Amino acid sequence: MNSSNPPQAAEYGGDEVSAIVLDPGYSTTRAGFAGEDAPKSLIPTYYGKYNANGQEKLIFGDDVFVTPRPGLSVHNPIGKDGIVEDWDLAEKVWEYSFTSRLTGGKPGNPFQNGLNDIPHEELPTEMEVETHEKPLADSPLLMTESGWNPAKAREKTIEVAMENWGSPAYYQARTGVLAAFASGKASALVVDIGASNISITPVHDGMILKRGVQHSPLGGDYISSQIRALFKSNSPQPITITPHYLISSKTAVEAGQPPQAKYKTFPPEKAPDASYRSLLEDRTLSEFKECVVQVWPGPNKLAATGPTGVSNEEMARTTPGRPFEFPDGYNQVFGADRFRVVESLFDAKAALPDPDSPFPAPTQAQTVPELIKASLGGVDVDIRPHLLANVVVTGASSLLYGFTDRLNHELMQLFPGPRVRISAPGNTAERRFASWIGGSILASLGTFHQMWISKKEYEEHGPNIVEKRCK
Amino acid sequence: MAAADVREMLDLPAEGQPRPHKKQKVVEKRPEGITRELYALLGERAPPIAINENKYKGRPKWMNKLRVRPWRMTPFTNSARSDGLVLHHWQRKHESTKPPAPGESQMEVDETKEEGKEDDQEAAHLKSQEQDYAFAKYNVQARLPRPYTDDEYNRHLKRDDWSREETDYLMELASEYDLRWVIIADRYDYQPPMDTEPDASALVPATQYRNMEQMKARYYQVAAHMLALEHPPSEMSELEFELHEKMLKFDPERERDRKQLAALQLDRTADEVREEAMLLEELKRITSNEQNFVTERRELYSRLEVPISIGNTAMYQSSAGLSQLLQTLLQADKSKKRRSLLGADGVLPSPAGQTPTQGGGETPGVTPASIPHKKGAAAAAREAQQLTVRTLTPAEETRYGVQHHERVQAGVQFRSDRAQKLTQAKSNVQTQKLAAALAELEMPVRLMMPTERVCKDFEKLIHSVNLLLDARKVSEKVESEIRVLEAAKAERERKANEAAGIVPPDPENPEVKTEADDAGAGVTGGDADKGQDDEADGESKDTPAMDPDGAHKRSASELSGVSDKSNKRQRR
Repeated sequence: MNSSNPPQAAEYGGDEVSAIVLDPGYSTTRAGFAGEDAPKSLIPTYYGKYNANGQEKLIFGDDVFVTPRPGLSVHNPIGKDGIVEDWDLAEKVWEYSFTSRLTGGKPGNPFQNGLNDIPHEELPTEMEVETHEKPLADSPLLMTESGWNPAKAREKTIEVAMENWGSPAYYQARTGVLAAFASGKASALVVDIGASNISITPVHDGMILKRGVQHSPLGGDYISSQIRALFKSNSPQPITITPHYLISSKTAVEAGQPPQAKYKTFPPEKAPDASYRSLLEDRTLSEFKECVVQVWPGPNKLAATGPTGVSNEEMARTTPGRPFEFPDGYNQVFGADRFRVVESLFDAKAALPDPDSPFPAPTQAQTVPELIKASLGGVDVDIRPHLLANVVVTGASSLLYGFTDRLNHELMQLFPGPRVRISAPGNTAERRFASWIGGSILASLGTFHQMWISKKEYEEHGPNIVEKRCK
Repeated sequence: MAAADVREMLDLPAEGQPRPHKKQKVVEKRPEGITRELYALLGERAPPIAINENKYKGRPKWMNKLRVRPWRMTPFTNSARSDGLVLHHWQRKHESTKPPAPGESQMEVDETKEEGKEDDQEAAHLKSQEQDYAFAKYNVQARLPRPYTDDEYNRHLKRDDWSREETDYLMELASEYDLRWVIIADRYDYQPPMDTEPDASALVPATQYRNMEQMKARYYQVAAHMLALEHPPSEMSELEFELHEKMLKFDPERERDRKQLAALQLDRTADEVREEAMLLEELKRITSNEQNFVTERRELYSRLEVPISIGNTAMYQSSAGLSQLLQTLLQADKSKKRRSLLGADGVLPSPAGQTPTQGGGETPGVTPASIPHKKGAAAAAREAQQLTVRTLTPAEETRYGVQHHERVQAGVQFRSDRAQKLTQAKSNVQTQKLAAALAELEMPVRLMMPTERVCKDFEKLIHSVNLLLDARKVSEKVESEIRVLEAAKAERERKANEAAGIVPPDPENPEVKTEADDAGAGVTGGDADKGQDDEADGESKDTPAMDPDGAHKRSASELSGVSDKSNKRQRR
């Protein structure tokens, strides 16, 4: 084929209008141009706040992790349940996510972008008002939201996009729908294991079924709290996590031996806030989750007895352990414990007790299989088998080793009749950014462009239009 | 001439199934970058990995001379939208417009450029208007009934359990979600309008839960009525009428029952699922067993059934009718896997043939009614056989070289080979002796002209030679024994002479024993022959007129002669 010939747009239904897709999450915020296969801009949703010379300053993006400034405290504009709490800061974080990498702080020349062309008869006085800088004046914006986002939050979001960012067109889509689109399905049961929440979203024909949406707080952060509980009750001695910024040098030690490291100390007036340390500890814990933590692959619960009469716990003990070295040099091999920290996602009774944890002990109804059961109970019986045959697993925490195997076994036990088929992309990026990728696909489709809420419509109907249009 | 023609001429049944088509030989193309020799080593199977990777060929040289065709960000509107939103996408710039000046920059805002720009944009707008946005055509809507008026509602659609407001709400949802009932049922959230009086609102029951069946039932009711109002059922097109019927016949109760069953089916436990699988397996086994049973029974019945003879034989008078009858009989015979109808003995091996004279009383398994039928059929068959097979006299047979073989083996055989086989005895010594005997008779071991008759004579000859050889062997043995015994006797006599007066013991006993053994050993083959011979004799006695096989008879009688000889020898 001649490379200078464009592919026929009708062949793949694509028509790119340089839309921006913004997928804000609790842990990270993803943004990028529609039509690309991964978000160009990936920043933590956490932001830092500190005082310099009496002025309050904010840090966004990866810079949060870098410098332990005096009094630096870390906050998250989004609440634990995934709903925005601090709208001013959320707007700033989101704005940073696309201005830093995608659009630049300065929009295109308003004379050139064609959006401000006014009919000749109108007076050009309004032009002056419009010309003050709006970061998104050139690009339609597609934002994602969780399935349980309240109407108020949705209206507030479109307000921010339309009025503060000056977006010419806007749309809001549910993460579940987009994740289903990313795996090429219009109907699916989306299991999203995120940082602050796990959610089950039944999607039918590109729309969520609201009565089937379920979520619980047993996400990645909960697993981190379980790991902390494990470290506290560690057998030779409790493990304390010292983040990298507190270590000036370390020497290698034998496994299980106390660490030999030189620590940095900060005088109290120069030390960052405790939240900063907690954030960096969480980074170490994510590393621990990536390297060590493993989900008991099934076919039964970890506490149950296997088919050979040996308890699964024993079986887990016989598997070779995995070593992990902490930032201070302490290292240890983790055996069966590495299965126990995530077991409570499937079996609430297996949760490690920790009185200091911010998470209350989980109930059985919050576990993944029960959520799926409840979710399917909320949808019509005719589509349940179809949903079970199209289970889409997404979210970074679902990358835990063995998670999909276990989920498969649990679902087969729960629903022995219908066929259960899990579709979980093996590619890490596709698993983590499924909802963004789905948004990228959606916003670059030619047929989608009739769905945008245009600025004109917004001005006509007000923010309530998002409830009518983004169903 | 095709095989089918030949078959037709010979009255052979047509081939059961057409011959499979010749396999198309798939010649895989040799990929580039691999030598022919190496590719040949790979054999037929394609290698599991791609051997050559696709190389980027680059642009052909002539393309470098082409001017790069410009693309530009052009605005477009979508006719599927009502608000005229202008979005921008990249489009190939059409040749008619002149290429943009290279010096054009965004900062330059002089009047001429402005005008040019506006012109461009207007042109683009015009273009976009004249050719509609390519994706606008996908904006399709579900076909919905026309909205009803108040009057229509009050006259036709009023129901007690659905208020006007709620019906409106339902119709609105149906159009909003394009009749996707799963979603409509999911989003259905009707709030009855609050009355002004607080007491009355307290009396209003909490929003009753509507399930999908209720919604569907109401919707179909409304839609069917609206359709009927639009066109009376007598004027409806077929499609419309069908739709109307379907909508009228919607039964929410049944639908709900169905869903309950579906839910039950979905919520089965693992044990139930296993049990069902097991039962299904069992069912499969039972049905397959039954199938087998039925086919076996049918086979049995077909065995019992023979072609029914109809009283008059007029239809068998013509040769065509006869050949057809023979054909069917042969077919039936073949399917029964019995001995051939045209066996060497010519006896019909049908049950009727075996019991030609007795009544049906002897075979209790067979119903008496079927016996006459069978008899008649057998008789007809015999008649047919006589008529068709025995048309040639023995003289004619020899003349035409027609032969009857007792058993024809599959494949091609040479007559000379068979004759040759006779000269090979079991033991090497015997073979040599045979060869020596033939040499003595000045016969070549390999027949010069192995015609039918020569072969038969040769066979006879070899047989006699064998017999003679056997006889010589036995006689030699006997002679040697006699010699030994005589020597022993001489010895004994000498001893007796030495010790005179002792009565010699009976010298014959051991001799008799050995002789009997020898005779047995020498004649076992003869015994077997004799049995066969008896059988053959009996058979020929049974059907003296019908024996078509003279050769067989001759050899049999000869064999019987041999066995007689050996019997005599034994007696001796």
